[in-house]
Amino acid sequence: MSNLTQLARALVDLDEELVSSLVKQKIEAGEPPLNIIKECNEGMGQIGKLFETNEYYLSELIMSGEILKGVMSELEPLLANVEKDSSSAGVVVIGTVKDDIHDIGKNIVVTLLKGTGFEVVDLGVDVPAETFVKTMRETGAKVLGLSALLNFTFPAMKEVVDQLAAAGLRDKVKVMIGGAPCNEEVRQFAGADFLAKDAATGVSFCKQIYGQN
Amino acid sequence: MSEKMQQLYNERLRRYQAAIALEMPDRIPISAGSNYFAEVYAGHSNQEFIYDVNKWTEADVKFVNDFPEVDAFRSGRFWGPLHDAVGFNMYKLPGRDLSPRTQFQFVEGERMKADEYDLLINDPVTFLFERFLPRTLNDFKEPGSIRANMALIKGSIASGMMGGFMRNRSIYLQNELGMPNSMGGVFLAPFDYLADGLRGLRGVMLDVRRQPDKILEACDALIPDIVNAGLAIADPLRRSPIFLPLHRGAFPFLSPKQFDELYWPSLKKTMLMFIEAGYTIRAYLEGDWGPNWHHFRELPKGKVLCDIDVQGDIFMAKEELGGYQCIAGGMPDSMLILGTPAEVKERVKLLCETVGKDGGFIINGGCGIPYDARPENFRAMIDAVLEYGRYSDTFDFEIQMNPNPPAGWQPPKRRVATPWEVKLQELGGVKGDEELIRKNWEMLEHMAFNWLFSWMW
Repeated sequence: MSNLTQLARALVDLDEELVSSLVKQKIEAGEPPLNIIKECNEGMGQIGKLFETNEYYLSELIMSGEILKGVMSELEPLLANVEKDSSSAGVVVIGTVKDDIHDIGKNIVVTLLKGTGFEVVDLGVDVPAETFVKTMRETGAKVLGLSALLNFTFPAMKEVVDQLAAAGLRDKVKVMIGGAPCNEEVRQFAGADFLAKDAATGVSFCKQIYGQN
Repeated sequence: MSEKMQQLYNERLRRYQAAIALEMPDRIPISAGSNYFAEVYAGHSNQEFIYDVNKWTEADVKFVNDFPEVDAFRSGRFWGPLHDAVGFNMYKLPGRDLSPRTQFQFVEGERMKADEYDLLINDPVTFLFERFLPRTLNDFKEPGSIRANMALIKGSIASGMMGGFMRNRSIYLQNELGMPNSMGGVFLAPFDYLADGLRGLRGVMLDVRRQPDKILEACDALIPDIVNAGLAIADPLRRSPIFLPLHRGAFPFLSPKQFDELYWPSLKKTMLMFIEAGYTIRAYLEGDWGPNWHHFRELPKGKVLCDIDVQGDIFMAKEELGGYQCIAGGMPDSMLILGTPAEVKERVKLLCETVGKDGGFIINGGCGIPYDARPENFRAMIDAVLEYGRYSDTFDFEIQMNPNPPAGWQPPKRRVATPWEVKLQELGGVKGDEELIRKNWEMLEHMAFNWLFSWMW
């Protein structure tokens, strides 16, 4: 925490104005945009940790996302000719299962995963099983996250797992489920590998699968 | 009402009210505030139930006949045609936007902008007509147009019809089935009006950081209108608690400090105003309210029935709230949906021996019985309560029923768009009893305001 740069520190403190002026200064000084992004990512990683330890809550998480969005819109024009940083911690595919349109919980997980360096393919809400399977095949991701808020979705989760098996992908993919109605009983019913009781344990599971722990 | 039904009604209501009041009834009551299961148990799809009011009675009769041990009951509060009449875009409905066998779902949105707090606070009528409703009612996008005028007319007719359906249904349940309502009327926490319908979750969470003072000011300004709108549709005899679904006060939406400063003070004031008007409240503590349960000890004892959701630990809730407020819940939704009758029986036994053993407990799922509960599991839950949840053969408790508020109670100032004084001036005075004309003018103005207000959630 103490070795964060001034920019990362300002982001962790959610100091919108300071972040904005620091970014402007750095751009004017000709600092490469990827360096600026790297500093912000360090700040986001720290924010994720504070969320995990209940020092930060949802409003802090949403606020940090908003500040980051502002930074990215400043940097966007400068990024056109820059080669993307491909050193991600791994790919995670995630989405809310069919017929459920809720995404607050899923978005928290996405924010924390990105803050930890994962590349996240977010399929959004009301995602049919076929789309999950197709995306797993295309990305080669090792982890699939299924999210739900409503308790009628248990069969929809099971359907995704069954279709992964039918497509011959089951042993290549670890499936985690999460969201208000999920528990061990639901995990077993769905045939998933892991129950993410909260966003932080979901992130830990992804780290474990990608051998980061 | 036949004598038999009257007796049945009294027996059920007495048991339900006694538990809420922290008295010991003859057994643990069985009551969901939201019995989703009952909506589809008779075989109707979610769409049929939401769009065809005739299905309500069919569903109610079938459910109550098959599960007569239930003590208080309420299902379905949506009538699709009312939403369609105005193009209400805050919910997706089964059969219209969602598959016919899916439940209705809330649609997040920013229907009030960050800089509109002052208008909401100082002039809610203008705020509603010019800002909020054009964004919320798709048929009211262009105020003044024929389409928009028709929407207001159709919407108010449909609301009147809906009120009639609900009243008839309630009378039918009471007279023909001897079944009390588990809830009547509804209100939200002031903060949740902002977080749900007005600013939306993202908007309000940014305001928590950027303009918390405006949140506080708006929450306080909303209280009188919330109370009046809630009282307008509450049980006139004060038998059933008023429904209070609580949303963004759950962990981890707000930090304990943010909750204490921004969420709780105006909620507490609002609840006290309903309690002072002679009502009890049934609060759904949706999600994990563990960090905030203790606040409910600040309210008068036995006035707020707290539904503990599946993310909350019912045993911890009992420890924190026991002796202060009655709690409901304890049955995991997943067990009712995926479990077996034997598992259900075991769970009920455990609940009866622990959280239920000294009263102040009502058996329920997490803020409701899920649509997909297996009928044999619901039956097993009831049978197990009869077996393990009995306290005594008789009990003393007098039914609480009162058409009048406590002596000296006055409602908050009732809001109107056009004050009577303006109307009187236009009329150039009246020739007879002014009071008789004024009273009714203001009543209809106020009801119209409540109608506008009702779209905020």
